[in-house]
Amino acid sequence: MAPRDFLRPLGVFVAVILVVVAGTAVAGLAFGSAGGDGAPDGEDIDGQAPAQYQPDNVAHEDDPENGTLSVDGGGDDKHVLVDTRHSNRFDGADVDPLVEALIREGHTVDVGTESSGGFESGYTNATLQRYDAMLVIAPTGSFSEGEVDGLEGFTDGGGRLVVLGEPRQFTAGGGLSSGSSVRASADSLAAAYGLRVGSETLYNLDDDANDNNYESVYGTATGGDALTDGVERVQFDTAGYLIRTGDSDAETLVQAVDGTRTADRGVAGEYDVAARNGNFVFVADASLVERSELYDAHNERFVGNLLSFLVSGDKPDDVPPTTTPEEDSGGF
Amino acid sequence: MSGCMVDSADTSATTVVYVVVVVVAVLIGTVLAPVVWNATQGSGGDGDPSVSVITLRGGTDPGNINRLTDDLRAARTNDSVEAVVLRIDSPGGAVTSSEEFYLAVNQTANEMPVVAYVEGTAASGGYYGITPADSIFVKPSSTVGSIGVIVQAPLSTIEEAGRTSRTYLRTGPDKATVSKDTIRNQLETLHNAFLDTVMTHRGDELEFGREEVALGRAYLGPTAVRNGFADETGDLNAAIEAAARLSDGIDDDQYDVVYGEPVTPTRTTATLSDIDVERVEGDVVYVDATDEGDQFREPVRYYAVWGIPVTDDESATGSAAAGNETTPTADSGGNNGGSSGTGDGTATAGGDD
Repeated sequence: MAPRDFLRPLGVFVAVILVVVAGTAVAGLAFGSAGGDGAPDGEDIDGQAPAQYQPDNVAHEDDPENGTLSVDGGGDDKHVLVDTRHSNRFDGADVDPLVEALIREGHTVDVGTESSGGFESGYTNATLQRYDAMLVIAPTGSFSEGEVDGLEGFTDGGGRLVVLGEPRQFTAGGGLSSGSSVRASADSLAAAYGLRVGSETLYNLDDDANDNNYESVYGTATGGDALTDGVERVQFDTAGYLIRTGDSDAETLVQAVDGTRTADRGVAGEYDVAARNGNFVFVADASLVERSELYDAHNERFVGNLLSFLVSGDKPDDVPPTTTPEEDSGGF
Repeated sequence: MSGCMVDSADTSATTVVYVVVVVVAVLIGTVLAPVVWNATQGSGGDGDPSVSVITLRGGTDPGNINRLTDDLRAARTNDSVEAVVLRIDSPGGAVTSSEEFYLAVNQTANEMPVVAYVEGTAASGGYYGITPADSIFVKPSSTVGSIGVIVQAPLSTIEEAGRTSRTYLRTGPDKATVSKDTIRNQLETLHNAFLDTVMTHRGDELEFGREEVALGRAYLGPTAVRNGFADETGDLNAAIEAAARLSDGIDDDQYDVVYGEPVTPTRTTATLSDIDVERVEGDVVYVDATDEGDQFREPVRYYAVWGIPVTDDESATGSAAAGNETTPTADSGGNNGGSSGTGDGTATAGGDD
């Protein structure tokens, strides 16, 4: 048998296999589902810049902090006491801008005084007589009955008193238990003026009703008191709300915007955050004077008005009176 | 004449040889043809449509999500995969990877039906990722929702900002420092992106508006079906069937189910639970970072996570970070990466190898 007798069938054999395999490959590329789509790992990217991610949608600007804290004098140089004897929770640096604004107008400010009666005791009425006004920020120590009586006499006699209180707040890991509750204890004092702080903080989830956080609610000025002159919107970082007790004469100064709710029960309502009763002003948010909050919205104007209020009173030097032995020896 | 006879016999023999050769060659070619055909179809496999089950059991942290997005990409580029079922048991995690999770699922949902099955929890960042799903299946014990963002910031970062600024020479007043306002601004930006993603994909189904979603509440399955956080009650098989039904490339029950390797955490504690929490104010969590000395550290970290930070006291008593009154006792919940699951499923094609 000649070699070509083997080679020809072998050639045909190989040729047929090649034709079948090549034909299958061509058909697969031509009619298969993957052949015409390019590289197997490639994919068209679509929808990866969703509309809700665009800057115009997500970016929310802070309130500009470009105001000025200023005090309208009232003429005479006044002596202002900033309370430090009730375990007040504020940083000395927070009151510096307030002190500077008062000093700039010629007033004198004492941030605390030397204790005359031991640890955490109140001031005597004689001590308080040296001052024209008093600012109390975030007290956590309670006011005794004698202290309250002394301060009532102070304001009845023309002294000015501003209290920045706080609602009860929970902190994690700050105490012996897993969570502890801290209440700013201004209620006993505020009760003498027909006010107290509600049991919850406030929040508002409407982006137009808060400053970048649901707890940073806005308040609007109500009424025409000089304390809200030039104030359209106040931003409260951790606002509480005020409750009137008995037949209170307190008038509302600032009220949280519509839609504001209480933190625990989520009850919507009209919540007063600042109120005035004669020579006493109570604001249910001490964070108002923190440096990060002082110039938000019209906060600096409101705080400026509070300072102006403090130095605008007319208190004789013998107020509060020190006629009883009890008042001479303790309390205010 | 005899010569013709011989020639004729040779021709017949040759013809027979060729016929045999051709037949054998065709047979061999037929055997090789499917191999060649499949080779031309990329990694598409056998041409049968399939539903790919992709599983995440753990937090939406970078490691887990990187693997998950790889699985989703593989599903998108595999022509035999006609639909995806996302089996989820995740309490969320870092915002940055939760966004990756969402984008990957969103891309997949643009190309094929995606159905989510909430095996245990799909809350916060875990829910973020499944919002683009065509349908969300839950059990009564499934937990969904918890829409919101929290931030972890070393206590000293803010409180000691002034002192720090005097410790280092800096090129600008905002360099190497951070303020509470800045953190809140960034937190709100991330929250807006999360919240509006939920409203974009689920707004038509939800029975309430954006503000109520922003409450950050978590819901069990039955409540979720009622309020629109989920669509249907059912198990994994129901989700697979729904995915197949939604696919144009699958006829009736003519499909395979391919189970991918489940993505599970490399450690049991996902995010916040191993951090020393100093205090919590609103949604800012202050942590103890004093051990880190003077090294530079990331000033803040944002989390989309379901649960509350564990304090030292709670850790000491062995309490879990469940953090929600709706936590079913059968679900470990919290920040620990979810339950251990009930097995990886039995594969019909592809398997859990």
